[in-house]
Amino acid sequence: MTVQAILAIAVFVIAYVFIATEKIPRVAAALGGAALMVIIGATGADEAFFGEETGIDWNVIFLLLGMMIIVGVLRQTGVFEFLAIWAAKRARAKPYRVMVMLVLITAVASAALDNVTTVLLVAPVTLLICERLGTNPVPYLLAEVMASNIGGAATLIGDPPNIIIASRSDLSFNDFLVNMAPIVVLLLAVFVVMCRFLFRKAFVYHADRAERVMALQEREAITDPALLWRSLGVLALVLVGFVAHSALHVEPSIVAMLGAGLLVAVSGLTSGKYLGDVEWETLVFFAGLFIMVGSLVNVGVIGQLGEAATDAVGDNYFAAASGLLFGSAILSGIVDNIPYVATMAPLVAGLVASSGGSTQGGALWWALALGADLGGNATAVGASANVVVTGIAARNGHPISFWTFTRYGVVVTGVTVLLSWPYLWLRYYL
Amino acid sequence: MHASELAEQVPTVTRETTALEAARVIAEHRLGGLIVANDAGVPVAVVPGTQVLKLFVPRYVREDPSLAHVYDEAGADELCAALEDKTVAALFDSDEITTQSLPSVLPEDTLVEIAAVMVEAHSPLVVVRDRGGSYSGVITFARAMAAIAAAAARRQPTTDTADSDGPDA
Repeated sequence: MTVQAILAIAVFVIAYVFIATEKIPRVAAALGGAALMVIIGATGADEAFFGEETGIDWNVIFLLLGMMIIVGVLRQTGVFEFLAIWAAKRARAKPYRVMVMLVLITAVASAALDNVTTVLLVAPVTLLICERLGTNPVPYLLAEVMASNIGGAATLIGDPPNIIIASRSDLSFNDFLVNMAPIVVLLLAVFVVMCRFLFRKAFVYHADRAERVMALQEREAITDPALLWRSLGVLALVLVGFVAHSALHVEPSIVAMLGAGLLVAVSGLTSGKYLGDVEWETLVFFAGLFIMVGSLVNVGVIGQLGEAATDAVGDNYFAAASGLLFGSAILSGIVDNIPYVATMAPLVAGLVASSGGSTQGGALWWALALGADLGGNATAVGASANVVVTGIAARNGHPISFWTFTRYGVVVTGVTVLLSWPYLWLRYYL
Repeated sequence: MHASELAEQVPTVTRETTALEAARVIAEHRLGGLIVANDAGVPVAVVPGTQVLKLFVPRYVREDPSLAHVYDEAGADELCAALEDKTVAALFDSDEITTQSLPSVLPEDTLVEIAAVMVEAHSPLVVVRDRGGSYSGVITFARAMAAIAAAAARRQPTTDTADSDGPDA
């Protein structure tokens, strides 16, 4: 191993520790790490900006940007508030039924949009409903964020790790739908039942409080019906575009950006409105992360690790998938699943390539996706959506401690990952 | 006109004053905000009226304004009634209010200096204190605007005369 490779590993590990411990802002850690990689000569402009394997993955960045703009416009319509209150009223304001409705809305929206923005939109209206019910909102928020991580696993766009995996693996939107959605539906059903027991103390019904929920006027949340219909029309086109992207030979990032452009054009909103929800920090964080991981690819570290992993796995892909599933679940609970998957994706790509394109080898991607997505539920820092929800809860006077989150998160992660294991075995290795 | 001539006495509140009482003070005296005093009665902070409204509007509604539309009349009244359970201290304990020095002017400051402090501090109230820190009153936004309008009116004839004496006359 060269001195440059050793230096690159040192930079990567130090930046990773800073990202995991949040001693400094994660954007600063990722950009600082990327800058050091340039200084030590592990990467340069060509590799960082124009190398698909060794630099910034623009497909990921622009897919995220496009979806953020689409959600930014959708947010102006009040549709999420309408849906959540409508659902709570359909549930007759009975607490468990309300939770189930909110969980299902969050899970489906997370699959169609992305889980971070979904929880950002659902959390405030959840606080309102819980305030009306006179109940503690923490169990409801926890159930929602966990549902968003489970639901988001179903599609290519639902969870940031899936976007990275799709870009590095050339898997299509439909590949994710066919391989991930069936197990996600099952996990969601199990999760709904688990909520009944996990959060049983939150389900105290008071008829007078229920009346306060029933008095809410959900239709009033939609202030611009024309914008709502236009937005839903464009969103439908975007989803059709995702389903058809491989047949049309168009990258998902192009579909998202075209959809965002069309929505901006038909919405008539100002740039402050439709760009207001773009998380520039997240996009820059991704860019820094990709340069760091790309540098490791560039200096040959990932290649050597990939060879070692290939030798260790041999042709026992089920063992590799099991290791990936459980290992990813554990590690994603400790560090944010985005940097974890960004690091693991090139390694898994090497393993899949060495399998000669077999189904057993290809299923390693699903093991990684399931482990990382579901493992994100384990702790408050496991996924970006968790950080968003705990932040909203704290600002509104309902802090969720790390241990409160972990107490529920570990159980949900444990059950969902354990159920995913036989799914992988039955579907790909039996 | 100097600050000392515009200063007036307005009621102050303390951290323990309920939000409901604070609302009454603002309404009865038509103030743009609140002067918060310490136990010795010395002003320590100015809270603009829009910040006081934060005690009435739940944070989740401020983060998602479309939720404001879903309350019916009874729901809105419930939020109003909840003001009795909150105190001014809630504003200070919240991370939403940026603690800043009390916006103040000297007794001899002019209208420009008063206006500049109000603009910089985004405050509809400024206190008048001498160099020794002695408090002599408060200048309200309405009083400052009235003084600005009056000064402009006094200046108007002079301006007309100057124009008529100009080279184009």
